[in-house]
Amino acid sequence: MNKFLAVVKREYVQRVRSKFFVVMTVLGPVLLLVFTVVPGMLLSKKFGDTRIAVIDQTDGTKLYEAVREALTKRDHNFQGVSASSVAESANSNTKERLEKAGKSMTGSFFVAQAKLDHRSLAEVQAELNQRIGRNELDGYLVIPADILQNSDSKTSYFGRNVNDVFTKEQIEQRLNRAISRQRLIDNGVAERKLDDLSKPVDLIAYPINEKGEQGTKDSGAGFAMVFALAFLIYITVLLYGQVVLGAVVEEKETRIAEILFSSVRSFTLMLGKLIGVSLVALTQMTIWGLAFGALSVWGITVLQQRMGIEELSLPHLPPFFLVYFFLFFALGYFVYATIYLLVGSMVTTTQEGGQVALPIVFMLVAALYMSFPVIRSPNSAFAFWVSMIPFFSPITMLVRIVSQQPPLWQIALSLVIGVVTVVGLLWLAARIYRVGMLMYGKKATIPEVLRWVKQA
Amino acid sequence: MSNQTSTVLVDKVTKSFGEFTAVSNLSLEVRAGRIFGLLGPNGAGKTTTIRMIVNITAPDSGAIKIFGRQITPELQDRIGYLPEERGLYKKMKIGDQLRFFAELKNVKGKDAERRVDEWLAKLKLTEWKNKKSMELSKGMQQKIQFITAVLHDPDLLILDEPFSGLDPVNVELLKDIVLELKAAGKTIIFSTHQMEVAERICDDICLLNRSRKILSGSIREVKKSFDRNTVALRFEGDDGVLSDPALVTKVERHADETEVLLAEGASAQTLLRRLVESGAAVSKFEMIEPSLNDIFIAKVTEVA
Repeated sequence: MNKFLAVVKREYVQRVRSKFFVVMTVLGPVLLLVFTVVPGMLLSKKFGDTRIAVIDQTDGTKLYEAVREALTKRDHNFQGVSASSVAESANSNTKERLEKAGKSMTGSFFVAQAKLDHRSLAEVQAELNQRIGRNELDGYLVIPADILQNSDSKTSYFGRNVNDVFTKEQIEQRLNRAISRQRLIDNGVAERKLDDLSKPVDLIAYPINEKGEQGTKDSGAGFAMVFALAFLIYITVLLYGQVVLGAVVEEKETRIAEILFSSVRSFTLMLGKLIGVSLVALTQMTIWGLAFGALSVWGITVLQQRMGIEELSLPHLPPFFLVYFFLFFALGYFVYATIYLLVGSMVTTTQEGGQVALPIVFMLVAALYMSFPVIRSPNSAFAFWVSMIPFFSPITMLVRIVSQQPPLWQIALSLVIGVVTVVGLLWLAARIYRVGMLMYGKKATIPEVLRWVKQA
Repeated sequence: MSNQTSTVLVDKVTKSFGEFTAVSNLSLEVRAGRIFGLLGPNGAGKTTTIRMIVNITAPDSGAIKIFGRQITPELQDRIGYLPEERGLYKKMKIGDQLRFFAELKNVKGKDAERRVDEWLAKLKLTEWKNKKSMELSKGMQQKIQFITAVLHDPDLLILDEPFSGLDPVNVELLKDIVLELKAAGKTIIFSTHQMEVAERICDDICLLNRSRKILSGSIREVKKSFDRNTVALRFEGDDGVLSDPALVTKVERHADETEVLLAEGASAQTLLRRLVESGAAVSKFEMIEPSLNDIFIAKVTEVA
């Protein structure tokens, strides 16, 4: 026990005292901000207005005003969309991402009408093409005469940069609204009723448990928490997995391993390293957490004062869920950290370890993907097995807990399997480390490693 | 126990790594309070033997007893080990580092602090206590590594090539400390392939070659059994006596002296008498003991 504590203390104190730790603790949140918010801001950034001409061929050019208004008006639905929702959209798939980014742009258009004035369409188009060429215009829309009557009729857009999918997406959406609105009016819908009639339906979900009791309105916070957990595990593993690996390799690179082994059992050493580095991680994340918390409290107070809001309601979560959250976070972290530990026990240098460790992160991503079928059928056999495999269970089991709580024994079993896996991996790593040390400087092959496990 | 005075007892121990046999049916005894030399060429099995003694790896067959008992983690605390593969934490301060190694041997707090200071003073490294080890020269680092092995006042000290790469002044310094520890009743196992060093400080030796023991005993016994009957001579006059094949089988003439190998059954006394009778003026007549180096080379090449 004393020796274990000595190892933990050394790993902890040496790391926390290092300049690297201090710098990372300060820079960490800044970097996080840079990597999440900045891409979002870049995605929605457009420089200058888009100048668009509209050739309206409908009877009496009755569509032009509506189109102009749709394009230039700052739609209240899209107003005040912050960079954070753009950042959020960056995590969804590409198509969705483009659409969301397109929506969130408070894109500014400068719209002018290009009247035919008894000229042919081709003539007008030729002139507009010239203007685009001279950079007096960015593009123009050609609205056919039968657009309001014929639902198959197509509108065309000619522009300098048709690869700007965001702008195209936005024009399409706004045009759509203007045209369908006009179609409804033409078909006798009163204009003043139109907004009320086309209001989207709100679907509110209420959970019902296995006893048939109805719960309160679901805020969706549960899923937010699952993805927060996945993200948290991902970040933690990404940040500290390499540190664990480095800690294990350190004595090999400095050739201290043999001195240690004449004093301390390799399992004690491995466990001490794992716990020591984990405490470093805990310290750093607590500092970040406190800073973030303080900032949030400050931010909320400021918001309340400025906007006169009495109380900001936070998503409500039952306390038992928080317990599970921390249990599965700890499990997820330790399962992946011990895999890094295992890799560290096999390799001789940190660089070599970094390469071998690369696929580990993919497993975590796989776990996230597996959570989608689990959300849809949380009591299926697939969901059960996936939530028992320790490499996936931290995420998949939590998904099951929020979607439709599984029996307690399943949750317990999943946790026990996870803990046993962690201890097993530690034991394996200790063994491989010790035997590997006896064959200094030699790169291990997988069959060799297997033989080492049997040996010693 | 049959022998209370043996600190380490290795009994018919064999250890293989896959196809390769590192130690084969080895038996040896290290007596308390003596310096035991574990000698042999590279790859003879010295390090593997030591690793089994300090419980880093277990023998495939045979038994090892330390202080008359089966090795346990607790007994490990009474052993100090300086491996041939050794290093220090590069970015850790010397003082912190030594305290850590002391804690791994269950020496804690003020006690550890005091011992660290004592040893640093003894090896003239006190002013380096708050420096990181990467700032130290190689020789200094080696002395720090030596301290890690003796810091917890072990009853059994195992040193694997402790002097390699040290300058003569520091070799003397460490050698004196080793002899001091011996005088304090500690048992020391000393592994090396530098025979001159072993010859100067070891009481007993065991010579390993290709995983097997080929020679063991006290230095005195070993040399006696290896007596090659060599005589170093310096004389003026007739050397006809030396060409008598019944007396001398080999003559080696150096600048100012001559080495002769006596024939089987011939004694040095006869040679001296014959020389004097022939009228030679003998200024030097000395029986030469074989050096450990000679024995080493002879034995190792003989087996090969």
